[in-house]
Amino acid sequence: MSSIIERVPLIVRATGDEIDAEIRHPIEESNLHDWETKWKPIVEATEKRLRAQGIPRAQWPQDLHWDWRKKMTDMRGLLSGATFTIECEKATQGMMAVNVSNARARIEQQNGQHLVYVEYLEAAPWNRKDHMAAPRFRGVGSILIITAIALSRSEDFKGRIGLHSLPQADEFYTRCGMTDLGADPKYYNLRYFEMTPEQATKFLEGKEKS
Amino acid sequence: MISKKTMTLNLTDTEMDALERLSAQKDLTKTAVLRQALRLYQLVEARLVRGEKLYFENDATKEKAELMLV
Repeated sequence: MSSIIERVPLIVRATGDEIDAEIRHPIEESNLHDWETKWKPIVEATEKRLRAQGIPRAQWPQDLHWDWRKKMTDMRGLLSGATFTIECEKATQGMMAVNVSNARARIEQQNGQHLVYVEYLEAAPWNRKDHMAAPRFRGVGSILIITAIALSRSEDFKGRIGLHSLPQADEFYTRCGMTDLGADPKYYNLRYFEMTPEQATKFLEGKEKS
Repeated sequence: MISKKTMTLNLTDTEMDALERLSAQKDLTKTAVLRQALRLYQLVEARLVRGEKLYFENDATKEKAELMLV
């Protein structure tokens, strides 16, 4: 049984209303069941639609192939990994998997220090503009980044986080205030983003005001 | 964040010195250093059980050296 880390509000995009949601840890079978029975049919429908419309593959959502069940199998029992969900309305609204052991910071001022490395972060497809004309909730990605920062602080990593971004998410991580260290030839040429303790504080303060 | 439990740890002076040095070098509390050590130990054991070997590679020369675990 997963445990509640925190209760947070999600914003209903259509009305601006707030709905109570829970950040939970870890991802468990019920979340993978949601992924298979609620997320995947929408993802597959998106793929079918894009294929029928002749949209080039380069413009498809770049995380279509993500397999949360495989990821969870790979991480099972290892202390180096941690996983989180956002849940409300009896559904998994987003999931995140991080590594707290294997990655070190690259920005010069914190080079070699420990950080929380975000391996996977994904909002449910009904919360995303690349799957739905009218997404349900806003704020899932930001709340998961806030969760990664909170974990980093609780691990004594001072809020430092890092990740490799899919190109379609580059803009989001830039808006989060992370430093873009450029394409990483050692990791599929994806851009590597990193957050310092100061950037983490600034990001959290900005979220409190909004 | 995630709930934790407390335990008492007995270390020799030499072990405590090493722990304090790592704590200072890595800008971590001593608890955080030990937590990292446990994670790494568990990961290495899991890979060894799968029949894999542990290597260090010099990034400049690409020279590899196996860490012998007997």
